[in-house]
Parts: sequence; structure tokens; C-alpha cells
Amino acid sequence: MLGLLWLVPAIPFAGALWLAVVGPRLRERAVAVIGTGSIAAATIVSLLIGAQFLSSPPASGAYTQTLWTWVGVGTFQPGIAFYLDALSLVMVVVVTFVSFLIHLYSTEFMHGDEGYSRFFAYMNLFVASMVTLLLADNLLLLYLGWEGVGLCSYLLIGFWYKDTVNGIAGQKAFIVTRAGDTAMAVGLYLLFHNLGTLRIQDLMQAAHDHWAVGSPLAVAAGLLLLGGAVGKSAQLPLQTWLPDAMAGPTPTSALIHAATMVTAGVYLIARTHVVYELAPAAQFAVAMVGILTLLMAGCSALTQWDIKRVLAYSTISQIGYMFLALGVGAWGAAIFHFMTHAFFKALLFLASGIVIEALHHEHNIFRMGGLRKELPVAFWTFLAGGCALAGLPLITAGFYSKDLILWSTANSPIGGALLWVGGLIGVLFTSLYTFRLIFLVFFGDVKTPVSHRPGMTMGGPVMVLAALAIIGGFVKGSFETLMTTALPPFHEAGLGVSELVSSTVAGVAFALGLVVAWYIWVLHPALADQAVEFSGGRLLHRFWFSDWGMDWLYDRLLVRPLVWAATINKNDVIDSIYDGIAAVTTTFYRAASLTETGKLRWHAAWIAGGTVVTLAIVMLL
Amino acid sequence: MTGLDFIALLPLLILAAATVIVMLAIAIHRCHALSAALTFVGLGASFGSLWISACRVPCKVTPLLLIDRYSLFYMGLITVASLVVVLLSYGYFEKLDGDHDELYILMLVATLGSAVLVSSNHFISFFLGLELLSVPLYGMIAYTRRRPLPLEAGVKYLVLAAVSATFMLFGMALVYGALGTMRFDQMATQLVLPGFDPWLVIPGLTLIITGFGFKLALAPFHIWTPDIYQGAPAPVAAYVATISKGAMFALLLRYFYQIEAQGQAPVMTVFAVIAIVSMCAGNILALLQDNVKRILAYSSIAHLGYLVVAFQASGQLAIIAVGFYLVAYFITMLGAFGIVAVLSGSAGDADSLSDYRGLFWRRPVVASVFTLMLFSLAGIPVTAGFIGKFYIVAAGASVAMWSQIIVLVVTSAIGLFYYLRIVVAIFSDSAGSADAGPAIALPGSVALGFLTAALVFLGVYPQPLLGLIRSLPPG
Repeated sequence: MLGLLWLVPAIPFAGALWLAVVGPRLRERAVAVIGTGSIAAATIVSLLIGAQFLSSPPASGAYTQTLWTWVGVGTFQPGIAFYLDALSLVMVVVVTFVSFLIHLYSTEFMHGDEGYSRFFAYMNLFVASMVTLLLADNLLLLYLGWEGVGLCSYLLIGFWYKDTVNGIAGQKAFIVTRAGDTAMAVGLYLLFHNLGTLRIQDLMQAAHDHWAVGSPLAVAAGLLLLGGAVGKSAQLPLQTWLPDAMAGPTPTSALIHAATMVTAGVYLIARTHVVYELAPAAQFAVAMVGILTLLMAGCSALTQWDIKRVLAYSTISQIGYMFLALGVGAWGAAIFHFMTHAFFKALLFLASGIVIEALHHEHNIFRMGGLRKELPVAFWTFLAGGCALAGLPLITAGFYSKDLILWSTANSPIGGALLWVGGLIGVLFTSLYTFRLIFLVFFGDVKTPVSHRPGMTMGGPVMVLAALAIIGGFVKGSFETLMTTALPPFHEAGLGVSELVSSTVAGVAFALGLVVAWYIWVLHPALADQAVEFSGGRLLHRFWFSDWGMDWLYDRLLVRPLVWAATINKNDVIDSIYDGIAAVTTTFYRAASLTETGKLRWHAAWIAGGTVVTLAIVMLL
Repeated sequence: MTGLDFIALLPLLILAAATVIVMLAIAIHRCHALSAALTFVGLGASFGSLWISACRVPCKVTPLLLIDRYSLFYMGLITVASLVVVLLSYGYFEKLDGDHDELYILMLVATLGSAVLVSSNHFISFFLGLELLSVPLYGMIAYTRRRPLPLEAGVKYLVLAAVSATFMLFGMALVYGALGTMRFDQMATQLVLPGFDPWLVIPGLTLIITGFGFKLALAPFHIWTPDIYQGAPAPVAAYVATISKGAMFALLLRYFYQIEAQGQAPVMTVFAVIAIVSMCAGNILALLQDNVKRILAYSSIAHLGYLVVAFQASGQLAIIAVGFYLVAYFITMLGAFGIVAVLSGSAGDADSLSDYRGLFWRRPVVASVFTLMLFSLAGIPVTAGFIGKFYIVAAGASVAMWSQIIVLVVTSAIGLFYYLRIVVAIFSDSAGSADAGPAIALPGSVALGFLTAALVFLGVYPQPLLGLIRSLPPG
């Protein structure tokens, strides 16, 4: 059964290829069957593999499937090989399953779009790339998946390319993540160059054997990989692309920007955890990135009026929690939160897609309201997802995973009181902006009439995800046991906060957020407006609304100086080098073309002349 | 000769018989489809018989021929390429007026000559194979004789091939005079003994290199190439670019490995100079050409230069690099000329760059295939061309031939320019009409589909072919 592993990336890839070649000529229904069917097949295969893996785990805790070596010279032996352990298994199962639900949902959501087959081709390619990234046994294949994911995100964000704004959002995502990718490529090369193998497991072993704790190479490698991770996972300072990426169709947002792609960075760090254990400074940087991002994004989410942008900032913030967990050495907790987050965030996006479509593509939450009665399916599922996101104690999946992270932060030698309190403030903000969203959209007066109710292909996946967002957390115990086969266990030290205390405080933070949200946005709707009346309040609002002025900062720091330099350097100095090369080659070309006369006697003379020259070489040398 | 020898010779015998059968068929009933089909079947049968011969190898048939896994591999490559050319020719010539049947006789004879070349072990079979290959080519190149360009190209090729053959014959005579043998395997033993006259052998070998250089279109013997390629009908140009060169290169590798020419420093210097000049000349001369067939001609000069780099590396890695690169080169050149062939109509070959402007918007599939072929020529990953170039660089680096590798890398970068020039033309907005023109005949589509599949398959999964080549000893 494990031998079928290669099918998990191969089937979606075949689906993408099929749709790309014949898709435009197929009817919508056929496209839907191919596009969704391929992901369904991949999901079934991954579930079967998962069942096999759990019932009779491989002796070493991992299964490697080497199909062939692509090209091989010396230590450069990039294999087409897949590596399955508990980490990649969980990621693959969650990614394929959630993707399947999103594909199913899309068959109705995208109905009537002129790019229907193109959409499913991109989506299939995206899933194939993501699964390749997760299962890759070596750095080159991992990089292929990594870049494939980046390419597909560009294609899908700018899917409605006829509107220039969407195209620009796609470009922004591509260029900003490119900055991170470059760092990562350098990091991967550093690992390969110093440790002499491409296989990730061998690399980790070699790093463990050859590098001392805190060695500069390990720190450098850790920081460079972190650079790649913050780009793909939209963390500080490269998070600016994600809110704009909401320009894509809503299922795209669910697939790329909630459940799967943005967690690639989390996966990368978890996969290379040995490097971070050898580089405490780099690991601490991961934790700092996580805590700062989760707080900043939480504040920003509080000020947005676009329903999808609120969710986008909440994604950034939740991934911040995962980074925090990675940073404090709670590897399993990060992956656990990845799983629950995949369920509830995909759910929130899909449910918001129902709302948006029902209201004629209205994104502004201030023009929504009272949808509780109008769209009961969307309301109840969104409520379930929102509670999981905010961490409603005891009955939601999000509570269990986030609580585990908070407790680990408090009790980690790297963490401590400050990070713990930061995480708790994050919980308060999460609760606040989540219920702000829910109260504004689903409570109060009806502001925009509902035009369209979702069918079963949209409602069904949402309900399944809602169920998972509630019950997904109950597997916590067995999940942690499973993770210890692939990732090092969490070492408890530090504050000694008990789980009960940690949960209680988190619960209080949740409740506080809920009550404040109720007070402000239901009981006294004018209060929020009044707060912004003050000059300080307005400034803070603008500051948070613009994501702490990051775009502004980058505009001043990078874009404008570059444009300025480009303007004064119209006749590019550096370009002249290349122009020079071009001119020289052109001159060579003109000179060499003189030999082309087309005259037979001249051709024969060349043969004779060439022979004389070669003879001269052998005689004289 | 025994019965077993006949089994080893089966691929050659089938080719010879097919020639006679096609000739008789034409005499009885002249029909283009029938001639093409018979040729196809004959080539297919010859290809199939390789597996029968494979049970009997290695086997020396008379002192002239050595049939072993190496020669069978290249015979297979040549026959498959000929099959592709037959498919392309059928669609190409079907659009033209006149009788086209004799082309297939010529092609079968030329293929037979190539098969003799790759299995020759003796100067006599070497020269016999060379002429069996060259003489039909004169006719094939000038086949559309009512057009001025093909006729001119055919005459030019005739004269120049004769000139180069005389140099080669003289070189063979010098080597024979010094060593007293014309058998490749005996030359090696003679060359390690003291007492031979290097002043006869080394110039002799150099003159033989002139002959090779002409057929392989290596600089400075390359001047004829663009004129011939431009003039020849597109499928014939594909034949000249691939089969004729592939057979010669397989022989070059075998001959110089058998006589252990690595020991002869001056000869290797000549190869180094030829490689560098070819890479530079091919890539630079192609830069601003506006004729696609001429661009491909120059490109082939450069590619043969790359092959010579790998050839000098010697050793296992060099054999892998040369073998794989030749296969990749065959696929891409056949594909590129195949595109020209299927797009050409009765008015003349579609070889001007302007014919390709906006091709993607008229014929997206053909344009995508052509783009893929050009990417492979440029050596971009996921195509066979990349893997081939990778192994050439690896082979060169393994023996530290840095100067030639640097030239290879720099000229490849220059080369990218003219491949991308065609790609840009293909994808640029077409100002003209959006009509796609006539549909492509089925044989041509089959051939191009096969080549595209092979190109990507080898680019992603090169392992089986590498394993096969690894098992081939050249000498």
C-alpha cells in the first residue's frame, strides 16, 4: 500500500496536464469531474496510505520511495524520491482532504466562469506542487514543489487577470515571496555545499554529526531557511503580499492562503528542525517572528472592513502562532495547530464565499448584517469556524491546539513569561476581531438583501469542515504520540505553568474578547466610531488598517529609491555592460558572416585551408 | 562467413532487401503511399531484427564489420530516426507535384550506409559506408530539382563531399603506409610499438579528421552547412543533420577510441581547437539569421562542437555523455526540422522567421512543440537537451577541460539568444490573418507527437537510456 505513495502527487499532476491540454474543449461538468476526481483519488490514496502507516508503522518510523535518480554526478544525486514519516503524512492527508472539499465547493462557486477549466488546471497543479513539496526526499525536489506552489499562487491570485488590480496582486505575491525564496535557495545551497548530500534526512544527520550547537554555519543556514519560510508563510517582514492576495477567487484564498501553501514555511522549519536545534539564535528568531507577527496581524484584523482581508490577517496571525510553537521547540504543537487551522480557516473562507456570493460580491462587512436568519448554513458553520479560530474552550479544535502552543510557550526554556503573555494578548485580539466579524455580518439589521442561496456542493463541504473544526481537537493525545516518531518531543522547563492554569487564562482571554466585542458591536454600535474620532484613535486605526504601515515603509524604503535610481539612471550604467557584450557579439557576427559567400570555390577553399591549419598544428606542436 | 554471421548482419540485410523491394514495387506500380509504407515496414523490420542480432553479438563479420552492442545501439537510433524522416517526408512531398517514390530508395541506401559506418572496423568498410551514405544524399538534397535552391545545394554537396573524401582517402593511405594495416583493432597494437613513423601517422589522422569534420560540419569545415540545409527539402535537411552526422560521430568515437588516440597529444589538440572554433562559430553565426533552417544549421555546428568536448574527455562518462547527447540531439533536430516540414506547403519551405510570427495564436499545439524543441536545443531543464548538456559538462569537468567548458557555457548563453528570438516570434502578436492553414497530415503529427513525448520522457526519466548506453563498449 505504501508503494502507491507516488500516486499522491502524480494524480493531481496528471489531472492538471489533462485539463491544460483538452480542458477548453470539455463541458463544464467533465472539467469538474476531472478536476475534483483527481483530488478525490489522491485523497483516497493518501488516506489508505495513512491507514497502513498507522496500523503497521515502518520500522524506522519512515518510508522512502525512490523512483529513480534524475541526473547524477558525484554527491549531486537528485532522486525522484518521496519520504513519508508522521510529519509528511499528516500534512499530506490534511492538504489533500481539505483541497478535495475546496475543489468540490469550487465546482459550484466557479459555475459559469469563462476560465472554468483553466481554474481547475491551476488548482490541480497547485495541489500536485504542494504534495511534492511535502513528500520530497531531497532539496531539489522540495525546491521544485516550493517554486511550483509559488507559480500557482501567482496564477490563481491573478486568475481574473482582465482586472489589472488582480494582476498586480499576483505580481506582488510572486515578487515578495521571491525575496524569501532567494534566501532559501542560498540556505539550501549552503547545506548542500557543507554537508555534501541532497537527501534531507542525510543532511539532518550530517548536520547533527558535524556542526556544534551554535556554530555560525548552522545559524546562517537556519536564518536563511527562515527567510524562505517567512516569505511563503507571510510572516514579518514579508507578510504584505497575503492581504492583497485576496484578489483571487474565494476558493483560491481558501486553498492557497489558508489551508495549504502558507503552511509550507511551517513545514520547512519543522522538516529541518535539526538545524534549528543546533542554532538557538535562529530558533529564537523564529519565535520572535511568530509573536510579533501574531500581535501585529491581530491588530490589523481588527480594523479591516473587507471580510476576506479580516480572514487574511487572521491567517497571518494564526501562522504566527505556529512559528511561535516552532520557535519554542514545540514541534508537534505547531503541526497540530496547522491541522486544526486548515480545517477552520478553509471553513471560514468557504463560508465567507457563500456570504459574498449571496450578496452580489459584496465584501464590505459594514454593508452586511442580519444574515443569521437569511443564510443559516453559512451562519452556523461560520460560527463554528469562528469559535475554533478564537479558541472557544473545551469544544473546539482551535482551543486545543492553541492552548498547547500557549502552554508550551510558558514552559519552554526558549519561551517564558513575556512570550506567553504576548500569546495570550493574541488570543484576546483573535476573539475580538472574530466576534466583531460575526456580529457585524450575521447580527443586527439586514443591510443588503440576499439574492442567492448555496446549493449542496457548496454547503456540503462547509458542513464537513465545520464538524472537523469542532471535533478535530479531540485527537490531541494520539496526535502528540504520532508526532514524536518524526519530531523531537517537547522539553518542559521554565515557568512550570500547569495545563489547567494555562487553559483557564486562555479561556478568560477568549471570554473577555467575546464580551468586549458584544459590548462594542452589538450593544453600542456607535462606540467604535467614537473611538476613531479622537486624533490618536484615528491615527492608530489608520496605522493598523494599513498593516502597521508596512506597505508605506516598503514603498519609501525600496520602491521609491529604486524608481528614483531608475529615473536618474535612464541609460543604465550596468546595462551598458550587457549592451557592450551584445554589441561585441554582433560585431563578431557581422565579421563571421563575411565568410558566408555561398560560392562553391570559397567553400572548397575553406576545407583546404582548414586542413592546412590543422596540419600546421600537429606538425608544429 | 557462417550462418551465425548472417544473423548478426540481419539489420543490414533487411535494409538492403527493402531497397530492392521498394525499387521493384515502383517498377510495378508507382504509388507514393505504397513506397512510403514499404520503406516504413522495411525500416521497422530492420529495427525489430536488432533484438535477434543482439543474441549473436559481439561478432566480427569478415575483417570489415564488427557487430556489437555499440553498433546495434546506433543502428537502432539511425533506423528510428529514418522512420521519423519517412513519416515527415510523406506529408511533405504529398503536397508537391511530381513523383516522389525514388526518394525512399535513396533514403534506404543512405540508412544502409549509415548502418555500415557504425559497425565498420576497417578503412574499407569505413569508406564504403561513407560513400553509401553520401551518394544518395546528393540525390535527396536535390530531389525537388525544379526548384533552384535544392539543385544548387545538391551540386555543392556533391563537389564538397568529393573534396573532403579525397583528403580522407589520402589520410587513410598515409596511416596504412605507416602501420601496414587497415583494421582498427590492429592499429592500436601497432601504435604502441616503437618504430612507426609519427610523421606519417599524425598527418594521416589529421587528414582523416578533415573528412570527419566535413561530414559533421565542424568548424573550420562547416561553411557548406547553412547553404545545404537551406536548400534541401526540410525532411532531407533533418536527415543530413541527424542520421548522417550521428553515424559519423559514432564511428569517430569508435575509431579514435580503438586506436587509443588519447595518447596522441597533437591529435587531441586538433580536436580541442575544432571544438572551440565550432562552438563559437556556430553560435555566433546564428545570432541574427532570419532563416530558421539556417539557424538550425548553425545550431547543429555548435551542438557537434559540444559533442567533441565530451568526446575528448574519454572514459565511461564521455561515452554516456556522447550517447545521450546524440539521442537528445536527434530528437530535437528531427523535431525542429519536422515542424518546418509540416508547416511547409507547395509554395516552398516555411523557413523564414516571419513565417513563424504569431504561430502560437494560429496553431497552439505545433507552436508549443516547436518551443519545446528550441528549449531542448538551448538546454533548459525538463527536456532531454538539458540532461545531455549536463553530462557533457560533467564529462568535461571530470578531466578538468576547463577552457573548453568555459567556452561551452559562454557560447550556450549566446545561443540562448537566437533560440529565444524564434520563441519570441512564435508568441508575438500576429498582425496577419488568424487562419491556421491546412491541417497537418497524420504521419507528421504522429512523428512530432512521438518526438515530443520522447523529449520530455528523457528529460524527466533519463535512467533507462543512461543504463543502456552505459552497457555499450565502443571498442
